[in-house]
Amino acid sequence: MDKPTELTLYIAGQTPKSVAAIRNLERICAEHLDANFVVKVVDLKENPKLAREHNIVAIPTLVRQLPVPIQKIIGDLSDTEKVLVHLQLGDAA
Amino acid sequence: MSDGAALSTLSVDELRRRLTEAEDTLRAIREGEADAVVVRSEDEDTVFALAGGQDSYRAIMEAMDIGAVALDEQERVLYANAAFCTLLGCGPGALQRDGLFTRLSSASTAIVRETIAQARNGRHQTQFVEAYDGGERHLMVTAAPLPLAFGTGCALTFSDVTARVKAAAAEESERIGQAVIASANEAVVVCDPTGLIINANAALASIIEGDPIGRRFEEALRLSFPIGSAVMHPDDLVMMACEGTAIKGLEASAPFADPPKDLLVSVAPLRLSGETIGGCVVTLIDMSERKAVEKRQMLLMHELDHRVKNTLTMVLSICGRTLAGSSGLEDFRERFTRRIQALAATHNLLADASWAGIDLTALIRSELAPYLSPTGPRLELSRLDRPVTPDVAIAFGLVIHELSTNAVKYGALSRETGCVSVSGRPLPDALYEITWTESGGPPVSIPTRHGFGQTLITRSLARGGGTGATVEFAPGGVVCRMVIPIQAD
Repeated sequence: MDKPTELTLYIAGQTPKSVAAIRNLERICAEHLDANFVVKVVDLKENPKLAREHNIVAIPTLVRQLPVPIQKIIGDLSDTEKVLVHLQLGDAA
Repeated sequence: MSDGAALSTLSVDELRRRLTEAEDTLRAIREGEADAVVVRSEDEDTVFALAGGQDSYRAIMEAMDIGAVALDEQERVLYANAAFCTLLGCGPGALQRDGLFTRLSSASTAIVRETIAQARNGRHQTQFVEAYDGGERHLMVTAAPLPLAFGTGCALTFSDVTARVKAAAAEESERIGQAVIASANEAVVVCDPTGLIINANAALASIIEGDPIGRRFEEALRLSFPIGSAVMHPDDLVMMACEGTAIKGLEASAPFADPPKDLLVSVAPLRLSGETIGGCVVTLIDMSERKAVEKRQMLLMHELDHRVKNTLTMVLSICGRTLAGSSGLEDFRERFTRRIQALAATHNLLADASWAGIDLTALIRSELAPYLSPTGPRLELSRLDRPVTPDVAIAFGLVIHELSTNAVKYGALSRETGCVSVSGRPLPDALYEITWTESGGPPVSIPTRHGFGQTLITRSLARGGGTGATVEFAPGGVVCRMVIPIQAD
């Protein structure tokens, strides 16, 4: 079985784009990804140091850790097509 | 990245990747794709929110129930909140693509554009009605100028005030209904479906005493209906109306009222919204006065019939007796016409007084007026301001006519120096004596012939009990004494 796709979404509390990014990621996962993925949400407002692991500057940012190479996309993830292509997820993989 | 020694060990590809990533980050921040950034320092990393004020504002706008939309100067939609999209039944994308006014009717478009135009001088509000979903809805649009970086747009809010308008209309309708009931001349009673009185107007106080609210209809108004009526008991009224039957103009009596009343009762179902019946409305018209008028009219009809017959009998009698005493047709015509005219004059006086009786002064003046003048014969009246019944007035009028005719032909009224003096004197047993005394005329001689005039004078006032008349042909002038019944004061 392939290693699961690992996604980490970096947010900053309840900013509108952070909230929108969580909702949009949930929708994308439900509609476009198979069951083989892991999603982690990191709230940098709680612990800003965690931004260092993936060198995060702008929030929200979605990071695809696996499969390598690492891919990032900044924004509220409202453009589904852009997310799928950029991170090479689901139908666009 | 701050470590220059570390950077020198990175491959060119890695450096290019990091550069691309840094450029993407800057572009994302510049284009508003990020709303927070992480700022690093030696000691700690800190998260800063970007453009938080505007986004918070938008979050509030999205949470509002009121529809909000922002237009630029070219009427392009810059922003529309969720409530506005719901109100128009379309998404924000479609609104931005097609524009606001493609979603409104031409009438609504004209109103909104006019509101926007008015808002150039300050906030402006308009309420309008729009066809919606087979019915209509009431919308309130408020426009205010919206300063933009590239000009002045317009901020619009839309509220659906249909429920408020309908509630106000219902309240107004309720108020009007209450006012109609309160101002009605007829007594109005409103009952619930179980027959309890829930409303009544002030006019009901003329039928029953006390507050009727909360009492059962049939207990508060123990109406009696005539045998054969469609309703036999007050209970039936309420029951039939609550089943949807309206009844108009039932005669009923209210023996419990003080004084007892004759009523005309109508009842109708109280139809609420959705045509459900929420009780009944009973109106009670007081017919007592009308009944009394009808009774009085009936009496008057009988009285009129009686008087016409009496008058015709009298005319026939005058005709016969005048014919018997006339020297020829011309003589008859003249005498008969004058007597009928005298009768008509008395009738006129009685009609003016509604046949309620007239006083003697008016009768005498009416008869003698044609023969009097400032330079001619005089008339002196005293103590004659007493009323007599119509029957006595007619007879008395004819007697005065005969006395006047005689006086004009042979007595005091034939000379300018003549004087007729008529005076009254009360007698016992509601009788009144009237004395006609002539003076200043030519010497009187006793007539050789006893004509109809004299017969009429001596007989027409005789009604028994001392009534009647006597004529004395005194040399100085005729003296006639009449005794007639008088109306009590």
